[in-house]
Amino acid sequence: MIFLEHVSKMYPPDVHGLRDISLHIQPGEFVSIVGQSGAGKTTLAKMLIAEERATRGKVTIGGWDITHIKNRDVPFLRRQIGVVFQDFKLLAQKTVYENVAFALEVAGITGKRIREVVPQVLKIVGLEEKAYRFPRQISGGEQQRVVIARALVHRPKILLADEPTGNLDTINTREIIELLQKINSFGTTIVLVTHNREVVNSLRRRVITLGQGKVVSDHAEGKYLLPT
Amino acid sequence: MTIHINSWRIIVAAWKHFVRNIWLSLTTVFVLFLAILSVNVLVGVNALLMNAVSLLENKVDVSVYFKADTAQGVLDQAKFFVMGLPQVRSAELVSADQALDAFKKRHAGDDTTLSALNEIDGNPLGATLIVKAKRTSDYTFLLEALQNPQFNFAIESKNFESHEDAIQRVRLIGQSVRSFGVGLIAVFAAFSVLIVFNTIRVAIYTQREEIGVMRLVGASNAFVRWPFVIEGLFLAGLALFAATAIVAVSVTWLEPHINPFFDGQAGLVEYFMVHAQQLLLIQGLGLGVLVALSSWAAVGRYLKK
Ligand SMILES: Nc1ncnc2c1ncn2[C@@H]1O[C@H](COP(=O)(O)OP(=O)(O)OP(=O)(O)O)[C@@H](O)[C@H]1O
Ligand SMILES: [Mg+2]
Repeated sequence: MIFLEHVSKMYPPDVHGLRDISLHIQPGEFVSIVGQSGAGKTTLAKMLIAEERATRGKVTIGGWDITHIKNRDVPFLRRQIGVVFQDFKLLAQKTVYENVAFALEVAGITGKRIREVVPQVLKIVGLEEKAYRFPRQISGGEQQRVVIARALVHRPKILLADEPTGNLDTINTREIIELLQKINSFGTTIVLVTHNREVVNSLRRRVITLGQGKVVSDHAEGKYLLPT
Repeated sequence: MTIHINSWRIIVAAWKHFVRNIWLSLTTVFVLFLAILSVNVLVGVNALLMNAVSLLENKVDVSVYFKADTAQGVLDQAKFFVMGLPQVRSAELVSADQALDAFKKRHAGDDTTLSALNEIDGNPLGATLIVKAKRTSDYTFLLEALQNPQFNFAIESKNFESHEDAIQRVRLIGQSVRSFGVGLIAVFAAFSVLIVFNTIRVAIYTQREEIGVMRLVGASNAFVRWPFVIEGLFLAGLALFAATAIVAVSVTWLEPHINPFFDGQAGLVEYFMVHAQQLLLIQGLGLGVLVALSSWAAVGRYLKK
């Protein structure tokens, strides 16, 4: 599903975001990416949606070589990968429903189809009751679930989440992770970037540890190895 | 299908941008409005000046006074000759009797003159040929041409009322108004470009989060860009509409007030009516292109990564 071959990312003038990373993520996997601050986790995530381009190496997603993807093809890539970023917020002046519908609107989906899909994904994240509230009228955990709902509207093969639980308490964090597991059980590949030791350890799935832009360890049923 | 849906959504998005930034939008409309208005004021002033020049030119003529008792055949010949000249706009023959009547009318109440006239036998006045040239510069040629030996002997005197100075002055005023106007239009155009550009930039700044989200959920650049361009065109359309309305109202109001200065026919309303399509087309296109381009450029800055 996701192939990285000797990928390096250099931020001018001399910061190494990533150094010679090679990894392969299979369809249906639930992969956690951990590592200290500045290890290159976000850089890696951004590379998968062509928000950053590799300086060297090759990135392939679902057989599509996106290493040198053209600007005008980027929207099509993004409609195939659901994205949940910590600073990737909801739009304050739109309702929950509108925020989710928006992702379909920009892709030119018909109004009829939008009216079908949005309630479905809101149901998956358990927010069908609060569809007509504004973001400020729901909790942080609920907001994050709306973001996940928005990431799901295109039925993506991959869901990419960069610290989706960063601002949440333990209970909300568990709910979000359970939601991700549920989505994973439908067959969606999950790439989760996180700092949360409990989350990683309770998942008992593959863990890739980055350090200074390199893969430090990669275990199929891994644990959070870093000192806290 | 997709294009159809997108166009509609883009128009809706443009409308939302406009409403959310209503004061900014109205300010921009106002500036664009002023720009168009200044162009129209110039067009109007120019039309009036042209009218003034042609009115003055119309007043210029050469009066050829023939000797009394000149044979009608000679008079007819002179008129025929003059009419045949391509420079001549009109030629009017005033017979000796008509001249006398006019003279009497002019001096009605002036007893001394009238009694002096009565003492003379018959009609002391001759016929007059009043000739108007097409252009003021043609009069020199005309005066030469009147030396024609066929009837020159019968000419008592020629009177050329030139008004040339006055015409020259109006022409000069017209010219400086026009070059000043071009400068004014240029300045307003520059202001409009800057203000539209900045308005759009602020509009984008207020929506930068939305743009970021749009891009991440897979909106194409066109989907982000077009609402801003459409919004700009929308502002331009409003400004053009408002300016046209104001020009129509003020020209209609102004016309009767300035008519007396133009022998009763200022011709302003008529001028704008005749040129309405042309003016609207030029102003609409100019403004539209200007606004669309600056919107396009302003969004471009935010789209590049
Ligand atoms: N746009 C950028 N320009 C220059 N350097 C950058 C840029 N983005 C990231 N970096 C650098 O690249 C390295 C990796 O950054 P990255 O954001 O991937 O770290 P991270 O693992 O996500 O850290 P955190 O856990 O704090 O989010 C850091 O040294 C960072 O300073
Ligand atoms: Mg990060």
